[in-house]
Amino acid sequence: MKGFTLWFTGLSGSGKSTLARNIEETLLERGMNVEVLDGDEIRENLSKGLTFSKEDRDINIRRIGYVAKLLSRNGVAAITAAISPYKAIRDEVRESHDRFVEVYLEAPIDVLTERDTKGLYKKALAGEIKNFTGVSDPYEAPENPEIIVNTATETVEESANKILRTLELMQYVPGEAVGAEYSEEEEEKIKARLKDLGYI
Amino acid sequence: MAFKLFKKKDARRACVVGLDGVPCTLLKDMMERGVMPNLKELVGRGTLTDMTVSLPEISSVSWSSFMTGKNPGEHGIYGFTDLKENSYDYRFPQFNDLKTETIWDRMGRQGLRSIVINQPSTYPAREIPGVLISGFVAIDIPRALYPRKYLASLARARYRVDIDTEKSREDADFLFKDLDALLECRKVIMDELWDKEEWNFMQVIVTGTDRLYHFQWDAYEDPSHPNHERFLQYHRNVDDFVGYVYEKFSKEGSPENFFMLSDHGFCGIKNEVYVNSMLQKYGFLAFDDGSDTLSDITSDSTAFALDPARIYIHRKERYPKGCVEDKDVEGIKSELKAMFGSIEHDGPRDEPIIRHIFDGADVYSGGQTPGAPDILLVPHNGYDMKGRVGASTIVGERRLQGMHTWDNAFFLSLRNDLLSSDEELTIFDVPWKVLKSIDVEP
Repeated sequence: MKGFTLWFTGLSGSGKSTLARNIEETLLERGMNVEVLDGDEIRENLSKGLTFSKEDRDINIRRIGYVAKLLSRNGVAAITAAISPYKAIRDEVRESHDRFVEVYLEAPIDVLTERDTKGLYKKALAGEIKNFTGVSDPYEAPENPEIIVNTATETVEESANKILRTLELMQYVPGEAVGAEYSEEEEEKIKARLKDLGYI
Repeated sequence: MAFKLFKKKDARRACVVGLDGVPCTLLKDMMERGVMPNLKELVGRGTLTDMTVSLPEISSVSWSSFMTGKNPGEHGIYGFTDLKENSYDYRFPQFNDLKTETIWDRMGRQGLRSIVINQPSTYPAREIPGVLISGFVAIDIPRALYPRKYLASLARARYRVDIDTEKSREDADFLFKDLDALLECRKVIMDELWDKEEWNFMQVIVTGTDRLYHFQWDAYEDPSHPNHERFLQYHRNVDDFVGYVYEKFSKEGSPENFFMLSDHGFCGIKNEVYVNSMLQKYGFLAFDDGSDTLSDITSDSTAFALDPARIYIHRKERYPKGCVEDKDVEGIKSELKAMFGSIEHDGPRDEPIIRHIFDGADVYSGGQTPGAPDILLVPHNGYDMKGRVGASTIVGERRLQGMHTWDNAFFLSLRNDLLSSDEELTIFDVPWKVLKSIDVEP
């Protein structure tokens, strides 16, 4: 199975990490190699020390895009979950990929403010966090993403199914795993292992 | 406002570490040499005893016997291979073919939860009360796991079911590296599940030992072998793992409920022995000219063998070309036993090949006996019996270095009260002792 990059973009708290992990689990079930590049984790490692200025945000997204490209061209389903607010950089990353799927997580700012899973909106609105996307920094929504999910109205399962159906239609991921019986391919693999150990 | 009801946690705990294929005599040797100090300490506190296993002496049958406490006549698993119904095509029995309740289900009925890591013959994984990661012959990780919510954890641990057996056969450096990697990934996932899950029964099986013995048994027996030290080092690593698990478990409140076992013994191979060639030589079996597949068996053949040494009467009612009427089965069995009994000095070293000839009717009991082999052979150490079709001789060159033995498996219990001094232990007895340790009655 060839790799690809599934690029989530959306405001803080819109559900990028949740959906990324959900999709990761399903793709693993279907036998794919998967890596999640989570924005928060990347900022702790690959992009430690970068600020939230536009320049540093662009550097951060370019780095994520570069790693995703390396992974995806080596057969991995690379799932990125970073706000990635600027359209130009997202498009630049898209250009560097052969197989790129952009997923826009749409959710009104008032819903996110109310949801405020990390308590960040409250702080941003109180002026305690500067350069906060959607409050004091801009977010440029994608114009032509492959997939749009509305996490204000959809459940995690509904959004995940929508993404998976699209990936299946694009033939980027295989269909659901087969049932309980061994497939011919599995039987051949089992035979080979049994032979290696002298059991048959 | 509703009050939440909190159920008191069940404090019962037991832990089993399985070492696939490790012979009791090898363990004693390793302890004497100072290679396995943690094990030696545990043995000092409890009882190490040898035991026999189920027949045939292969992992799928033995582990199925361990996980159910039943003989194959009840659990229905007789080998890694079987024949499809009314056919000569092979099939590979899977977890769903197991016909009896597992110990984990039994514990589950009392509200106890199990974590089972690398259990052979549980593929594809199905729901158990707890977590199950299937072992050999599992192919795809997603189908080897219940519940699937731990898939990402397995991926992060770089978890694999088995070493790369194809490469390992040819490349000892690769084998030893891969064995260490496998041991490490079991430890990583065990640690995660240990902390994340609520459990009463923890079970982890090390299968690298079996792989090492198949490929490098000579390195054990020959101190001048270039891989002798690496062979010992792997046992040091296994001993570290055992010590690590015990140390962790001893903090759970019931350190005495720690058990270890192997599913069969091991010894070196002198030669392979082809049971179907024996049957052909003595007129019980024939194939269409030049054929080397079981489906080309002639309609006047009266018996055939499946791996490793399971002999089936070619019954008219069960096989498409079968010719033996029910009334003649006992007669054919007698002829076969007499024939096998007469092969006393047919080996290249003028020494006996067959050690025991068992009648399936004496060995197995239960609802699954209609699928049981009619006769089972247990060879003398060194003669690795095979059910392959098409060998031109009865005795051939070995392809691997180590083979399974029916006896010389081991059981270690820290609960001396669960063992009686005159007990001749078999693998069927082990799960009942484990269950008894946590007050789960049969």
